Amino acid sequence: MTDSMFALIAEELARIAAEKGESLPTLGPDTRFLGGDLPIDSLDLATLLVVLEQRTGQDPFRAGFVQFHTVGELAALYRPTLHHPGLPAGSA
Amino acid sequence: MSQPPPSWLHPGLRLIEAERCVGWAGIAAQADAFEAAFRASGGRVVLPPQGVPALVAALVAAERAGVELHLSRRAMPADAASEPGEPGFAVLLETSGTTGTPKLVRHDFQRLRGRLRGAADPDARWLLAYEPAAFAGLQVILTALVAGATLVSAPGAGAADLARLAVAHAVTHISATPSFWRAFLLALDGAAPPLAAITLGGEVADQPLLDRLAERFPTAKLRHIYASTEAGSLFAVGDGKAGFPAAWLDGGVDGVGLRVRDGVLEVNSPRAMLGLQIGREVGHGGGWLSTGDIVERRGDRALFAGRLDGRINVGGVKVSPEVVEQILLDVPGVRDALVEAAANPVTGHILTALVVPAPGVEETALRAAIRAAVADLPPAARPRLVTMTGSIALGAAGKKTRKGTA
Repeated sequence: MTDSMFALIAEELARIAAEKGESLPTLGPDTRFLGGDLPIDSLDLATLLVVLEQRTGQDPFRAGFVQFHTVGELAALYRPTLHHPGLPAGSA
Repeated sequence: MSQPPPSWLHPGLRLIEAERCVGWAGIAAQADAFEAAFRASGGRVVLPPQGVPALVAALVAAERAGVELHLSRRAMPADAASEPGEPGFAVLLETSGTTGTPKLVRHDFQRLRGRLRGAADPDARWLLAYEPAAFAGLQVILTALVAGATLVSAPGAGAADLARLAVAHAVTHISATPSFWRAFLLALDGAAPPLAAITLGGEVADQPLLDRLAERFPTAKLRHIYASTEAGSLFAVGDGKAGFPAAWLDGGVDGVGLRVRDGVLEVNSPRAMLGLQIGREVGHGGGWLSTGDIVERRGDRALFAGRLDGRINVGGVKVSPEVVEQILLDVPGVRDALVEAAANPVTGHILTALVVPAPGVEETALRAAIRAAVADLPPAARPRLVTMTGSIALGAAGKKTRKGTA
């Protein structure tokens, strides 16, 4: 259900890493954002969340901080029914 | 044989950095070496970042030699040329400004120490989550020294590495910014350190974060500190709720008078004259001092609602969107620019920019020029998202409307 969200996160993470001259290892649902193998810091993660809000129109953190660690856990916070602007439907 | 430790350093302390554990004997040896060099320096010494054990040894040596110790946050301070300074032992700290050269603030060491509770607590295991040479970092270091505690540090490490260290060394005490705590929670796996004391400072502590921390560390003492640049640490809130009791606006707290004038919090603190900025007095001695923090009364609570000067808190660093906007406007090929804050649950805010390119300007080249223009700013002050647009809407007053400054 969250395949397209997963793809969107992977795309934007790759863009953020590329800006820093880094490349990403293969992402899986269990890949951790911080404290794992990803070459990102908390400012990068903050940037990702702002981009995801811009692209999905959703803010799962509106009511405050929600705990998540992995790509899969973050993807699950977004409602899967929406089509994401700029992303072809069904891409995964 | 070395001299005994100073009164503010409990000989039982242990400093753990880069897998190395240093006790008083190791510090004393380095302090002896520093002391000889400091005595020869004549007045003011600059210590570049070398980790916590060296910093502690330098404090001991500077007190013995009676010199000013400038704890630099950069490897090669531009103003390293040793100036005569004032006689006697004092600590000089750099402020973390968004732009320009950092200001140097002189702190009387006895006053710095006087602010700390001095009880010995040899079982405490602190994690240093601030830069060692920042005011908040030095406070944590001095607290651990006087307590004879263990202090775990890894200067330059991110929240994820520090979370790992906290678990590995069974850390019990952490003082950090709300942004650090959010990243810390995100980085923690199933294992968590046995925290007994959680302190938040440097940014507004929001209720969801306080709830999350109380949930994850139910036995820890949880408090958030309110401090201002001029007046230093003013009060601590320990009831687990955001903001502070509105009653304090009438009666004050802990010897500090509080009041709201035109929506802005003013303080009257005996501790206001904390440091002397080189060349200028900080604060105005007695009397009321504006903090620049906007406060709203909601029921029996006073809540923080942003800065009067429009500065944004990005992960504990106060940045000015206007200053960054000016930098973008100076980039050739930029016709107009708007820098604003975007809220997020990790660092509180980040800066984003809307840029109107001049006609005929190639986007890739312009993005590269913008990146180069902001490369000298601290990471928190760089716009993280730059969006190209045809025009920037103006508000009713004919000014750009900046969102998200609350």
